[in-house]
Parts: sequence; structure tokens; C-alpha cells
Amino acid sequence: MKALKRMGSLLFTVTLCFALIVGCSSNSTGTGNSNSGGSKSTTTPSSNQDSNKNESKERVKLRVEVFDRGNAPEGLTVTNNLMTEYVQKNFGDPNNIDIEYVAIPRSEEINSLNVQMAAGTAPDLIFTYNEGAAYSWAQQGGLTDLGPIIDEHGPNIKNYLADSLQYGVFEGTQYAVVARRVNLQKYSSLIRKDWLDQLQLPVPTTTEETYETLKAFKESNLGGQRTIPLSFALAPDSYEPVIWSFIKEQSDEARYLRSVTIGSREYPILMDGHKDALQFLNKLYNEGLLDQDFALDKDKKKKEENFVNGYTGLYMADTGTAFGGGENSVVMTLEGNVEGAEVVPVLPWTDFEGKNRQPAYNPSGMYIMVPSFSERAEEAVKYLNWMAQDEVIQYMAFGEEGLHHDLVNGYPVGNSSEEAQKLLFNSGDMLIITNGIDFGSPEKNNEYNALSVVEKHREIATISREYANKDAVSQPIKFEKPLDSEAKYSVVMLEKYEELLVKSIMAKPDSFDQTYEAALKDFMDTAGNEVIQERTAMYEAMK
Amino acid sequence: MVRKSYVLKHWQLYIMLILPLAYFFVFKYLPIYGVTIAFKDFNVFKGISASEWVGLEVFKDIFSQKSFYVALRNTFMLNGLDLVFGFPAPIILAICLNELRLQKFKKVAQTMLYLPHFISWVIIGGIVYQVFATNYGMINLLLEDLGIGPIPFLSEKNAWLATYTSVGIWQSVGWGSIIYLAAITGINKELYEAAEVDGASRLRRIWHITIPGIRTTIIVLFILKIGDMVDIGFDRPFIIGNVMVRDYSDVLSTYIYRIGLQSGQFSTATAVGLFQAVVGLVFILTANYVSKKTTDEGII
Repeated sequence: MKALKRMGSLLFTVTLCFALIVGCSSNSTGTGNSNSGGSKSTTTPSSNQDSNKNESKERVKLRVEVFDRGNAPEGLTVTNNLMTEYVQKNFGDPNNIDIEYVAIPRSEEINSLNVQMAAGTAPDLIFTYNEGAAYSWAQQGGLTDLGPIIDEHGPNIKNYLADSLQYGVFEGTQYAVVARRVNLQKYSSLIRKDWLDQLQLPVPTTTEETYETLKAFKESNLGGQRTIPLSFALAPDSYEPVIWSFIKEQSDEARYLRSVTIGSREYPILMDGHKDALQFLNKLYNEGLLDQDFALDKDKKKKEENFVNGYTGLYMADTGTAFGGGENSVVMTLEGNVEGAEVVPVLPWTDFEGKNRQPAYNPSGMYIMVPSFSERAEEAVKYLNWMAQDEVIQYMAFGEEGLHHDLVNGYPVGNSSEEAQKLLFNSGDMLIITNGIDFGSPEKNNEYNALSVVEKHREIATISREYANKDAVSQPIKFEKPLDSEAKYSVVMLEKYEELLVKSIMAKPDSFDQTYEAALKDFMDTAGNEVIQERTAMYEAMK
Repeated sequence: MVRKSYVLKHWQLYIMLILPLAYFFVFKYLPIYGVTIAFKDFNVFKGISASEWVGLEVFKDIFSQKSFYVALRNTFMLNGLDLVFGFPAPIILAICLNELRLQKFKKVAQTMLYLPHFISWVIIGGIVYQVFATNYGMINLLLEDLGIGPIPFLSEKNAWLATYTSVGIWQSVGWGSIIYLAAITGINKELYEAAEVDGASRLRRIWHITIPGIRTTIIVLFILKIGDMVDIGFDRPFIIGNVMVRDYSDVLSTYIYRIGLQSGQFSTATAVGLFQAVVGLVFILTANYVSKKTTDEGII
């Protein structure tokens, strides 16, 4: 009995010591080497690594980022679904590559990529819309130069992206492949036609008329006690269209010297008219014409909710979002909820020349990159190269005819069946090489966009999209390379800008000036001055 | 010789101790090495050791930023409010619960009061928005019907501070009272009986028996709380805070999150963390010293 006990305790001790040694040794290699060195061995099985050097036929693993928006149909995940199977079967297996998708939460994208880049555990193929982050990794030596690899393995990429490839060049090196963006329209507005009819008002065409219309909406409380004449959220789709319509300067010089780029947007913070825009919003706020709780609505959920429940008169949103989603679109939901509700597209804001100046996207989409510690740069480029083929794009965007989409006038139109939902729920995050599908010309793209909307809204959806093109200006204006200070301060600047917006809009009218100046000074002191200085220096050098 | 044989005799105990010690060594002491990046121009791709030393540059940079001082001030302010209002709350609650005669009611009340402790701040944040929002919040809709103007619970400085503090109390008061209730149970019942015989009123009994009985517990918790003055949880200010009150809701933890994780400036974030730890240590040692001098109670 005693001997048994002895044995037991001995065994226990030995196990403990073993566990300790294992634990400590792996830890010491992790801290001894550089960060990236320690983790590499954990991300890819060592057998693959070694044998790969000798003969490339050995199966290797390619890790690819995918956004997780929490919208996967039941039973499927973003890392394992019909589309990932398709990629594995058609790209992975023929090339002896195991593709492993790594889920990155959409809203935590930059945070988790920053951490994973630092720890050396980031996937072999990463992407983000955030140019600042991409640039800051490039600058610190964290990205692979893709130029030579694309030359060797990426003929389709060159062919497909053509000139857009230059967007991924930082200081002469191809650090990223930048996806194409097909639809450049940014924002659209809709107004309640039935409200206008009740008040016997025309669709407003100038800022002044819009203001009067909003006031009329408010006075007659057409949406009940909770009428919100103008939808508003603390989001770009609410403030950008209004602010840009007040800007009086249009030269490139003004855009270089008196605006700042935060993320992928241009903020005309020092331009003539910026203050007027905020004063106008301040007036709307104090007269109760825009959502009084807008500052709490950063994710635009409340804004959409108010609209579909029929409280909102004038609705501003990202182009396409009001009609997207077929039978479940925002406008369909409104019509289902509120009897007699009817909307028409509107261009509510005019600038000093009477034009509808508004922002538009650059023709570039997400930045696709390979971290410098990845050993699968070649495979990553091959993956993009495979994707940049027409039939692959076709399948990844629309699936199979009859099963996932129907051909209407020669265009593949999703049939919103369960099958299609299962295959294509995150198509945009899988088909990373392009943002939107190009049918060859803007007219054709418009035709397709119209077909993807339910029939009775097709016409207004098309007009709405055309409106978004009117007097639109591509933003942001770009320097030859991203700015260090803008990369460093992008988060801080956005927060300070939001503070500026909220404080000035919510100020009492007589203290607006004071509030605006103080908040602007705060913005400039925190980051603005440094950024403007760098922009000025770079602009001088560019001339 | 005697000592050696003791160690030899009980060697298993020492071996077993290795595991917890190793845990502390690996997870608490080894990472301290990472603090060096506060003194370096940390490049995530070069790693810690290959990054260049920059001396106190990072600290100079931080101490020249206005937003850092704002965050520091807010940390003290919010923690101060919690100390003034949040710290006595569980003590009062525990004493009240202790005075309850009906055991069943006491148990039910206790359970209901500490349930909020288990709700995530994210969910509490959602509830707070539904209840306190200016335009569509439950309370303000009610006040509107009563003819009282809306109260900007979430957007005006003082109202927000009150919301922040009271939500915090609501969430933690029940849980915090458990430890005091336990301490009260330890008080000799005969003291109460004796006092009752002597004609002491209920308040007298609380004042002269219950409170002195749990004094040690109160002081220990108070010292710990003081030590946490610069340390503030991330969830509560981040979730209850919003753009309108950022001047008051931005605290060191949210500052570190923004600078470190969101902007990728790991050196700056580490330096702020180190600063926080040092100030926290000073605070806790001071509180302990003062407490030892004045009441003879301490934790070290």
C-alpha cells in the first residue's frame, strides 16, 4: 500500500516536472528570439516548413484572413462554409495547399490585426480598408514586397487590376495589392413622398427648401410624437453630405493644405464653409429638426430603426443600403410597417454655386497584404492570381445559375434563396480582389444594380444612385505616400472630430462660436497642427 | 540537521509548491521584461530586444499631451466618486440586511441585489441607453408625460457623473455586501443580547457593536481600494461613456486602449501602464502606512 502511494507521488512529481520543463522551454524560445520567430513554429507545422524547402510538392498551409460580421447562416461559420470548400477544391487541392481561414471580427479589425501583427500570428494574407494601418506596417518593415512575386506568379492580377496596382505602392515598393472598387457612389438621400403630398410641398431641391420642408415636417408631426424630420447619426453618412455641401473651396491646394485625411475620408476641417456647415446643423438640432439623440447612435442602428418605423422624413444613408436585401430591404420594411409610406430620391443639399457637391469613393478598395514574417507569400499571390479570373469571380460573386442566381437580361441576379444565402452570405469578404462586380461599363453596372433591387423600387433606386454621382468628388485627395502623422493619429483625430461635431451641434445657438472654436483648437492642438504641418511640407515638396 | 530532515521528509509538499510558484514566475514576473518597451522605440516586427533604446523619450511625449492629463484627472475623479459613494454603499446595505428579521425575505433580497454583478457591462450599457437616453429613454419618456423636461442623463456632465456612479453602485453593491455580511456573522451574539438588556436602541447597537466588529474588514478593503485609485476598469467608463461626455469619461484604461491597441503605439501604452502601476504602489503603501499609524490595522 505504502509502495503504491510512493509510486503515485513519484509519478505525479515526474509529470509535474515534465510539464514545467516543457512549459518553460517553449516560453524561453518565445522570449529569446524575436516575437515573430517564436510564433512561426506554432502557426505552421514544422514538418511542412522543413520539407517545403526541399521539394515544393509537399502540402503547405496558407492562412487567409476573413471578416467575421456575425452573419453566417445557421450551422455555417465564416471559416468553414460552402465557399471555403469551393476555394479549397478549386485552388487549394490542385496546388497542394491547405487553406485555413482566420476569422477577424469586423468591428475589431484594426485592434486584432495590430495585436496579431505584433505577436507574429497574423494570417499569411491580411486585408483592411484602413490605409493608415497598412502604411504603418509597411513603414516598420512588417510587410512583404510583393512586386517580384507578382511579376512571377501574378499575371492575372496585373491583367485584372492594371493601373489600380499603383495604389498599393508605398515609397516605390509594392507592399499591398489594392482591390478594385466598382461602385463609387457614396451617399444617397430619400424623402417621404406621402408626407410631402400631405403638406402639398414639392421635393426640395436646395438647402434652403430642404430646411423649410424639415420645418414643415416638424410642425405637422407627420411621424407622430416622435417625428424626426432629418435622420442623423454620429456617422459619416449623416455628416459628410451636409458638410461638403457648405465648403466653398474646391482647389486641390485647399484640399491638400486645409483638409486632413482620417482613415479613408477627407475632412475639410480648415476650409472656408466648414464652420457654416456645423452652424447649420446646430440650427437644425436646436430647432428639433434632427435626431436629438444622434450622438449615441454611432452604429446607425437607431437611425435605420427610426426610419423603418416611419418617424423619419428625410433619410440619409450609404448608397445602396436602403434598397439592398431584396424583399427585406429598408424601404420594403418601411412600406410594410407604415401604411401608405412612399419614398422618392432627393438631392437635399446645394453648395454656394447651387451644385450638389458631394463625396465619392476612390476606385480602390481594400488593401491586401502579406506580413513579412509569413513564409507563404508566393502561395498568397497565387491565391489572388487564381481569384482574378473571370469564372472564379463569377462563381464567388453569384454562384451557379439556376441554383444561386437567375439570368435576367443577361445579368446574374441573386435569387435570395436559402442556397444562395448559404453560399454567398459573405461573398464580399471572400472575393477580396474586387469590391463590387464590374460588368464592363458604368451603364451596365447601373443596369445590374437596378436588377438587384425589387421590381417596384427599381426606378427610384436607379435615380437614387444617379443622384449620388452628381457633382461628386473622389476622396480623399492623395499624396505620393500616406502621412506618418495621419497614420499615427487616425484614431485620435476621429475621436476629436466627433467631439467637435457633437459639441458644436449640441451647443446653444448663442454659445456656438465659442464652443466651435474651443473644440477646433482642441482638435488642432491634439493632432491637427502636426498633420497640417506635414501636409504643407509634403505639398511644397510636390510642387 | 533537524531542519534538513524536515525538508526531506516533506519534500512532496515543496514539489507541489513549484507549480503555483512557476505560475507566478511565468505569467506574472517574466512579462515584466516587456515593460522595457516603455523605454524603447518599439518596432513590433523587430521584437523587443532589437528595438532601439530611447531613454525617457516616451514619457516626455506622454507628459506633454493634454489628453493624458485629462484621462488621469478623470480616473481620479471617477474613482473618487466611487470611493465616496460606492464604498460605503455595501456596508450600509450589509448592516440593513443584517437587521432584517424575516430570514426568507433577507435571502431573496440578497440574491436579487447581487445578481447585477453577473451581468456583463456590455448588456448593462444597452440597458442604460434604453432607460436613460434623452429622447427615447424610458425615464425621460415618463418624465415628459409628467410634464417635467427631459433630464440629459447621458449627455450633461453632472447628470452623467451621477448616472455613472449610481449604475456602478447598482451593479456592485450586492456583491460587495457579501464580505461584510460574513464579517457581521462573526460578531459574538452575546454582545447584542447584553446591549439589549442594557437598553441600547437598535441604532446604538449598530454603532457600538456592528461597526466596530467589522472595522478590520472595512479598513483592509479601504486600503485595497485606495491602491486601485489610479487603476480603473475598462468596461464601465468605455461603455457608459459617449462622445458628449468624453471630456469626463476618458480614463487611463480607455486612453491606453486607444493609443496601444487602436493606434498601435505600444511603447506609449506600456509607459502609461507603468506609470499607473508605480502611482498605484505609492498610493497603497501610503494608505497602509497611515492606517497602521492611526488604527494599527494594515495589510502589509
